[in-house]
Amino acid sequence: MQADLLQGTLDLLILQTLVLGAAHGHTIAHVIEHRSDAVLQVEHGSLYPALHRLEDRGWIASFWGTSENNRKARYYRLTAAGRRQLAQQTSRWEQLVGAINRVLRPAKE
Amino acid sequence: MGWTRFFRRASWDQERERELQTYLEIETGENIARGMTSEDARYAARRKLGNPTQIREEIYRMNSLTFIESLWQDVRCGLRMLRKNAGFSAVAILTLALGIGANTAIFSVIHGVLLSPLPYNDPDRIVLVLESNPTRGFPQFSVSPPNYIDWKKDSTSFEQIASIARGDFNYTGGAEPERISGARVASSFFAVMGVTPTMGRTFLPEDDVVGKAGVVVLGYGLWTRRFGSDPQVLGKSLTLDGQSYRVVGVMQDGFQFPRGVDLWLPSEFDADALSPGARGAHYLRVMARLKPGVSVDKAQSEMVAISKRLEQQYPKTNTGWTAKLLTLNEATVGNVRPTLLVLFGAVGFLLLIACANVANLLLARATARQREIAIRFSLGASRLRIARQLLTESILLSGIATGAGLLLAEWAIRALRTLPPSNLPRAANIGLDLPVLGFAAGVAVLTGLLFGFAPALQITRGAPSETLKEGGRTASAGRQGVRSALVVLETTLALVLLVGSGLLLKSFLRLQTVDPGFQYKNIATADVSLPRSKYSTDAQERQFFSQVLERIQSVQGVKEVAASSGNPMEGSNLSFSFATKDLEALSPSDQPSAGYYVVSPNYFHTLGIPLLLGRFFTPEDSAGRPRVAIISQTIAQRFFHNKNPIGQTIKIGVGAAVPVAREIVGVVGDVKDDGLGEAATMAAYEPYTQMAWSDMTLFVRSNSDPSQMASMLRSQVTSVDKDQPVADISTGDQLMAQAVAQPQLRTTLLSLFAGLALILASLGIYGVMSNTVAQRTHEIGVRMALGAGQSSVLRLVLSNGVRLTLLGIAFGSAGAFALTRLMKSFLFHVTPTDPATFVEVALFLFLVALLASYIPARRATRVDPVIALRYE
Repeated sequence: MQADLLQGTLDLLILQTLVLGAAHGHTIAHVIEHRSDAVLQVEHGSLYPALHRLEDRGWIASFWGTSENNRKARYYRLTAAGRRQLAQQTSRWEQLVGAINRVLRPAKE
Repeated sequence: MGWTRFFRRASWDQERERELQTYLEIETGENIARGMTSEDARYAARRKLGNPTQIREEIYRMNSLTFIESLWQDVRCGLRMLRKNAGFSAVAILTLALGIGANTAIFSVIHGVLLSPLPYNDPDRIVLVLESNPTRGFPQFSVSPPNYIDWKKDSTSFEQIASIARGDFNYTGGAEPERISGARVASSFFAVMGVTPTMGRTFLPEDDVVGKAGVVVLGYGLWTRRFGSDPQVLGKSLTLDGQSYRVVGVMQDGFQFPRGVDLWLPSEFDADALSPGARGAHYLRVMARLKPGVSVDKAQSEMVAISKRLEQQYPKTNTGWTAKLLTLNEATVGNVRPTLLVLFGAVGFLLLIACANVANLLLARATARQREIAIRFSLGASRLRIARQLLTESILLSGIATGAGLLLAEWAIRALRTLPPSNLPRAANIGLDLPVLGFAAGVAVLTGLLFGFAPALQITRGAPSETLKEGGRTASAGRQGVRSALVVLETTLALVLLVGSGLLLKSFLRLQTVDPGFQYKNIATADVSLPRSKYSTDAQERQFFSQVLERIQSVQGVKEVAASSGNPMEGSNLSFSFATKDLEALSPSDQPSAGYYVVSPNYFHTLGIPLLLGRFFTPEDSAGRPRVAIISQTIAQRFFHNKNPIGQTIKIGVGAAVPVAREIVGVVGDVKDDGLGEAATMAAYEPYTQMAWSDMTLFVRSNSDPSQMASMLRSQVTSVDKDQPVADISTGDQLMAQAVAQPQLRTTLLSLFAGLALILASLGIYGVMSNTVAQRTHEIGVRMALGAGQSSVLRLVLSNGVRLTLLGIAFGSAGAFALTRLMKSFLFHVTPTDPATFVEVALFLFLVALLASYIPARRATRVDPVIALRYE
C-alpha cells in the first residue's frame, strides 16, 4: 500500500512536470527537487524506472533530442492519455489529501 | 507493447545506458560550473544518480517474465557453473549416474517381474492348487489324477478348476522331425486363465473323453513358425507321436502357459490313471479360478478339509497328504522375490552413498563459493533466491546424471532381458516403460534435493559479513562436522553391502567346490523320447536305444556314450518309493523314496560315478535274467546298516505297477541331482535292458568340444529312425552353469554394487581428507615451523580418517548384523553372522580407507612451512 502510494506519487510528479513541455531526465529530476523545496529528496536514479513504466503505459512518449548545452539527450513529453491520467490522478490525490486532512484536523484542535 | 518488449529489452537497455550517461554528463558539467574539481563533480553526480547498474537492472526486470525467466537464469547459471568445474561435475554426474542407473535397472526388474499384473484376465483370482506332505519333505507337490477329480467334484470355492500335465511330443510331417513342448489340459483350463483364442475355439468338455478323435490348440508361436500364420489352418491335422490331431484353435499371441509350451491337447485320464493305486502317482499341476469374493485363505481351508476327508477314505495312498494354495503371482515369481528385494535394498544403499558423496563434493565446493554467495547477499539477493539457485544447480546435476543413468539402466536391462526364465521369470517384461521412467524422475528430484539440501542450507546460513571477514580460509567447524558425518554414513552403508556380498561370495565359492558326485566336463547331452504309437513294445524301445548307442560309440572322437531315464545335471528327476526286506511291511505312503534311473550299462563309467561295492550292470543283465538293481551309498548306509547289501533285494514301486524285487548287485557313490546346495538324494538304478523306457537322455563323453556334438547326435539318431527328433542338446558345463545361475546372478550383482559402494566411499574419505589437509595447510605449516616432524603430521591427519572409518565400521557391523539375516535363504554353509566374513570385510574396508586418507596425509607432510604460512 505504501509502495503503491509512493510510486503513484512519483508518477504524478513526473506527469505534472511534463505539462510545461518536453524535458529530459536530468531536468525532470531537478525540477521535482526544486519545486518541492528539496523536501522530496528522490534519488535521481529511481526516476528512470518510473519514466520507463510511464512510457510503457503510453502516458508519455520519448524522443532523442539535443540538450541546451549540445548533448544528445532523451526527451519525454506528455501524451493525450497521459494528460487524462494526470487529471484523474490529480483529482484522486486531492480527494486523498482532503480525506487525510479531515482525519488529522480534529486531532490538532 | 505487451510481451514483445521481452525481446526488445537488450536494445532498450543500451538506450537506458546512454540516457543515464547523459544525466551524469549534464550533472557533472553543472557541478563543475558550481566550482567543483572535475573529479569531485563526477563523484557527486554519481551519488546523486545512484547505482546505474541497479537502475538498469530494475528496468530490465520490468521487461521480464519473472518466474520462468529467473528459473531459466538459474539453469543457465547452473550449467555455467557445471561447465566451469568440469572435473567436479564429471565426478558428481558419474557417481549419481551409477546410483540412479542401478536403481532404475533394479526397479525396472521389480516392476516388470513382481509388480506388473500377469497378462491374464483378473490374474489375482488364479491360484495353483498343490498337494503337500510336509512330514515327508514335500511342502509343494504335484497332484494325482484321482485326487484332482475328487477336488473338482467337492470344492465350491472355484469358478473353474483345471488339470495340466506337461508333455513333449514328436512332431513329424515338417522338413525334419521336431520335439514340441505341449500340455494336456482340462477343457476348463483356458477359462481358468481367462484367455480366448485368436482363431477357432478351445476345448469342449466332450474333448476330454478318452478315445475320441484328437484335437489340438496351437500356440501363436508354433502357428507362425510351423504354419506360416496360415489363416486356413483350422481343420488341418498334424502328426504328434505318430497320431493325427485336428487343429481346432490358435491361441492369442503371448499366451504360453505352462512356460515354453507350443500346443495344448485335451487331458485324458484312462482307467489306469484313475485306478485306486494311482492316487499315489502325483504328476498333475492344478490351477483354479477363485469365485469372486472368495479369498485364498477361505479356499485353502476348504481344500484342506476335502484332503482330510480323502486321507481318511484312502489311508493307504493319502496319509499325510494335504492341499496348499498359491497365488499364480507367488508361484511365478515367489522364488526370485527375496533376491530382487535384497538387490533393491542394495542399490538403495548405493544411491544413498552416491548422494552422500555428491553432497560432500558440493560442501567442499561451497567453501570455495562462500565468498561469491556472500557478495551476492550484500548486493541484495534474497536468501530464498540464493537457496533456489543452489537447489536448481543440484537438480540440474541430478537431471543430467539421470540421463546418463537411464543409458546405463537401458544397457543393464538389455543384459537382464536375455536371462533365461529359469534365472529370472518374466524377464521379457522388463523395460524402461512409463512407470520406470516416472520412478527414475522421482529418484532424480529426490536425490537432487537430498544432496543439494545440506549445502544449500549451510551456505545460506550465517551472516555474509562474517564470511567476507573470514577471508575464505577456514571453514566453519559445523560444516566439517556434516562432512564427517557423511563419511561415516558412507562407510557404514558400504560395510553393510560388503558384508552382504562377502557372505554371498563365500556361499558361492563353497557351492562351486561341491562335488556333485559325477563328472560333467566334456559331456554332451541330448533327449530322445520315442512315441508309443511307433515303439509299442519294450523290445522295440530297447533295440532303438541299443542301436543308437552302438552307432554313436563308433563315431571317431567319442570316448564313452550312455543313456539314462534321468539327467542328474538338471534336477527334478523321477522319484519312487522303495522297500528293503525290513520295510516291506510298511504301507507305500510310509516307505522312503529315492531318485530312480533306468540306465545303460556304461552310464556310471561315462559320468564317472564310482563303484563302491559289487559290480556295474553288464549286457548280460538282459530281459530274461533275474532283475537286478544298483543303489546309492546313502541307501546302503541308511537301510542296510552294517550288512553288505550285495545280494539283498529291494522292491521299487515304479508308477502304479506292483513293486517287483530286484537283487542288489552294486553300490555306487551318491549324486547331488537336486542341486549342488542340497543334500545328496538317495538313488536306485535299473538296467534299461530289463526295464524299457521311452524317454532317455544320451550322454556322450568325447575328446573334442562337446558343443560340437549336436549335428553328430542328430544324424546318428535319424540314421536309426528318420522321424525321430533329438531335443535339448546341451553340454554338461552349460547344464551345471544353469543350476548355479541364480546364486551366480545375485552374487555377481550384489558384489558389483558392493564394489561400487566401496569405490564411492573411499572417494568420499579421500575427498574429505584432502579437503581437511587443504584447509589446515596453514595450521600444519605452523606446527612444522614449531618443529613437528613429518611422522607426527602424518599421524595427525591419518588419525582423523581412521576415527571416521572406525565409526563407520562399528555402525556398519551393527547394521549388517541386523540385516544379513534377511539373506539366510541365499547362504550355503555360511551363517548370516559369520564372524570371519565380518572381520575380513571390516579389515578390508579399513585398509582401503587408510589408503584413501594416506594419500592426502602424505601431501600434508610435504607442506613447506614457509609457503604454508604465506598461504593466506
